[in-house]
Amino acid sequence: MTKKERNKAIIIFSVIALVFLIGSIMTGGTGGEEESVQVVMRDAVMHEVNRVSLFGLKDVNPSLIAAFIVSGIMIVFALICRIFVIPRFRLVPGKFQLVLETVVGIFDGMAKQNSHINRFLGAYIFAAGSYIFTGTLFELLGVQVMTTEGHAISLPAPFADVNGAIMMGCLSYLVIMSGGIAGNGIKGIGKTLKDFSLPISLSFRLFGALLSGALVTELVYYYTAMSYVVPVIVGVLFTLLHALIQAYVLTMLTSLFYGEVSEKVEKPPKEKRRLGKKRTTVVREQNA
Amino acid sequence: MTGVPLNIDWQQILLHLFNFTILFGALYILLYKPVRDFMENREAHYAEMDSKAEQALADAENSKASYEKKERDFDEEIRTEKNRLSKEIETERERRLAAARGEAEKIISDARGEADREKKEIIESAQKEITEMVTDAMEKLTLEQTASDAFDQFLDAAEEADK
Repeated sequence: MTKKERNKAIIIFSVIALVFLIGSIMTGGTGGEEESVQVVMRDAVMHEVNRVSLFGLKDVNPSLIAAFIVSGIMIVFALICRIFVIPRFRLVPGKFQLVLETVVGIFDGMAKQNSHINRFLGAYIFAAGSYIFTGTLFELLGVQVMTTEGHAISLPAPFADVNGAIMMGCLSYLVIMSGGIAGNGIKGIGKTLKDFSLPISLSFRLFGALLSGALVTELVYYYTAMSYVVPVIVGVLFTLLHALIQAYVLTMLTSLFYGEVSEKVEKPPKEKRRLGKKRTTVVREQNA
Repeated sequence: MTGVPLNIDWQQILLHLFNFTILFGALYILLYKPVRDFMENREAHYAEMDSKAEQALADAENSKASYEKKERDFDEEIRTEKNRLSKEIETERERRLAAARGEAEKIISDARGEADREKKEIIESAQKEITEMVTDAMEKLTLEQTASDAFDQFLDAAEEADK
């Protein structure tokens, strides 16, 4: 491409962008005309207004619909991989095989690194990590659904809903407890119960992180003036970042606590305990 | 909805749980397990290859050590055999030398005996011939004396007859 051709392309590109900009300013108002920014923000947290009907059975939060869609997409993807990709796996992997192996290898390695009982843990953190990552990226697609109020909204991430985050936090806690039981029996339950704040912290960390992302995105898209350039950073980069970070944080915390509670508690030898008792008795006698 | 902070809905939590359980099961069966199994099989395959290579290397090392030992043993055997053969050759050489010396001595001794015998025989023969010659001469002399005596006697007899 010559310099002249390049300049011509840049000018055409700029003109098209300018036309879209003028068009969007002329056709739009100030943005968010029907609801105030406060209402939008409150609804993003509480889901009081914009609810979606679940097959006419119940009005649910949009995140639940998003969760079903994300799960559907992931199951179809897994099915396609199982039928068409995995049977063609080779000893020297191709690009796509390498991606799949890397993802599985990361979670499997994390589980092996943290606990000696790692089969179930690996599978769980793989599912949870993939779900959080894909679910968070899902909000980038902006899939539109109709609310019961008759508004069109774009579906948020499944964990931008407190119910989804509570499910993930509590389930992770139960998985950690199962690790405690597998490693130490009844004592494992006690060890897990010591961290009773864990389900709350896991749930609300996930909810807070994803909700903050959703709120910032809502805020950015609310104003027309902020709808240029800024969404590239806020909408895409932030979403990508917190998808990665939250998937990593929850899986890492789950593995760490799982490893901690499933670790075998070694009893001190009886002789030592006896000696300890004797010493204590001697010291007491001396003190007396 | 009433009284629960943040509109926490237990039914929706259970629906999320149901959704995630299905997702977990599907991902485990369809993706995680087959990929992990494949990776473990490949690891086992390479571990097996590695162990086979190590085994082959160990076998080669053993073979090398064995051949080196055999070579050393063979060298030792050659050296021993060489020494034994040298000794045998030396012994044989000495034996043959001694035999040759003995034979030579015997030949010389025999030759000397033969020479002595021949000498003795020559001497005896010469003595005999000399004796014979002397005898003959004596006989001749005797005969000559006798013949002249006989002739004289004849002549005497003839003369007597004539008379």
